[in-house]
Amino acid sequence: MAAFSAARCLFRSYSLVKNVDQNTGILIRCSRRMLCSAPSDSSSPDAHVKPQFLDSEVQDILTRITGLNLEKVFRPIKQELKPPKYKLMTDAQLEEATQSAREQAQRLLKMPPVLPERKPINDVLSEDKILEGMDTAKYVFTDITFNIPHRERFIVIREPTGTLRKASWEERDRILQVYFPKEGRRLTAPPVFKEENLKMVFGQDRHEDMLDLCQVQFEPDSSEYIRVHAATYEDLEKMGKYDLLRSTRHFGGLVWYLVNARRVDGLMIDMLQKDLLQDAVSLVGLFNKVHPHSETAQEASSQQAYGLDLLKIYAKWESQRAGYVELALQAYEQTSAESTV
Amino acid sequence: MVCKSLASFLLKTYHGGHIVIRLAMAGHKQSNRPFYRIVAAYNKRARDSKYIEQLGSYDPLPNIYNEKLVSFNSDRIKYWMGCGAHPTKPVAKLLGFAGFFPLHPMTVTEAERRRALTEQAEGAAPEEVVKQQEL
Repeated sequence: MAAFSAARCLFRSYSLVKNVDQNTGILIRCSRRMLCSAPSDSSSPDAHVKPQFLDSEVQDILTRITGLNLEKVFRPIKQELKPPKYKLMTDAQLEEATQSAREQAQRLLKMPPVLPERKPINDVLSEDKILEGMDTAKYVFTDITFNIPHRERFIVIREPTGTLRKASWEERDRILQVYFPKEGRRLTAPPVFKEENLKMVFGQDRHEDMLDLCQVQFEPDSSEYIRVHAATYEDLEKMGKYDLLRSTRHFGGLVWYLVNARRVDGLMIDMLQKDLLQDAVSLVGLFNKVHPHSETAQEASSQQAYGLDLLKIYAKWESQRAGYVELALQAYEQTSAESTV
Repeated sequence: MVCKSLASFLLKTYHGGHIVIRLAMAGHKQSNRPFYRIVAAYNKRARDSKYIEQLGSYDPLPNIYNEKLVSFNSDRIKYWMGCGAHPTKPVAKLLGFAGFFPLHPMTVTEAERRRALTEQAEGAAPEEVVKQQEL
């Protein structure tokens, strides 16, 4: 009897201990994951995960802000000249056609990913001093097995000193382009991407073409890609030419960059001047999500503000050009009052 | 051999010898520019004629970045080696450089010989320079 109760106590305590182990395991894994994803928030007591570019909520907000101007998405691109096709349709068929065109436009507007910069590869596989002086040139060995993703392919280089090392990211890109060519990509980057030439292209208002070319040429996490995109967004923000990218697939990236750099004022004013209140509100919402410890976010959450109030809170607390933003807000309120009256 | 299908057995194509993995010259001997394909072929066939499967390439002339590009399909090489193909000496050397095979012993000997040659040349060159200065 005593043995039975003792066994029962042991079993119960064992189950508690088992659960504790599992819980600590889960806790350790969760905290490790959160520490990895949000190094800046590790000091704060609440374990808040920073929203990433590819989260569904963030993507929703960004797609809404991008807008869907069918005229601009389907404007004539440089392609082969074909004679136009004319079709006779009923109203219902026309509606179907516009609907499918809308879906096609949404697919065309899919945002390219924003990834952190890739870490350089410095792996040395073997050092063979006995092979020194075997040849004056390097040997580059690529594995051309068909079914491996390009990121996992083996590309190794044997130097004349005898070291066998993995190829760096730039070498990898070049050699993958040799053996598995992608359309439009060149082996060496075109000289447009140098600083002086970029400025000239921006002077001609061709930011979108620039970004498309960058998309084709570089990988999304290479330093070149990030540098070109940063330069383009800076120039757009300086000139205030946000309209160039509106309704293209690069607008989401622009907004994400500005929100992370906390310089959303110009975009806000531009939106208010064009009477896009919903977009401005979602912009402030996104800002609050990404920077939850800023004063704007805390005020908004404490007052449960919506619509124009959010904008007013933002203008008061966060913006550097508060005067301009408040002016624009007042102008918008006046025009909306006049239109209702 | 297990790897040969029933169809090829029924076709009864004559082949002599075994299967080798070797370098075959591409470019049809017209240009002054060698380029090799790493190829699985029957032993008795001519070097550049019909092969069973191309397994890669080797470009012996270095490019502007001073690299000699070699590619090989490791999956298929493993398959043919499993079927009993023999690699030739140059292929074994190349794959030894790559780390796919262990290092070929002749590469070490070649490297030593080349180093000895360069040392001799360096030893001869300063002597000539000194002689010219004396003259």
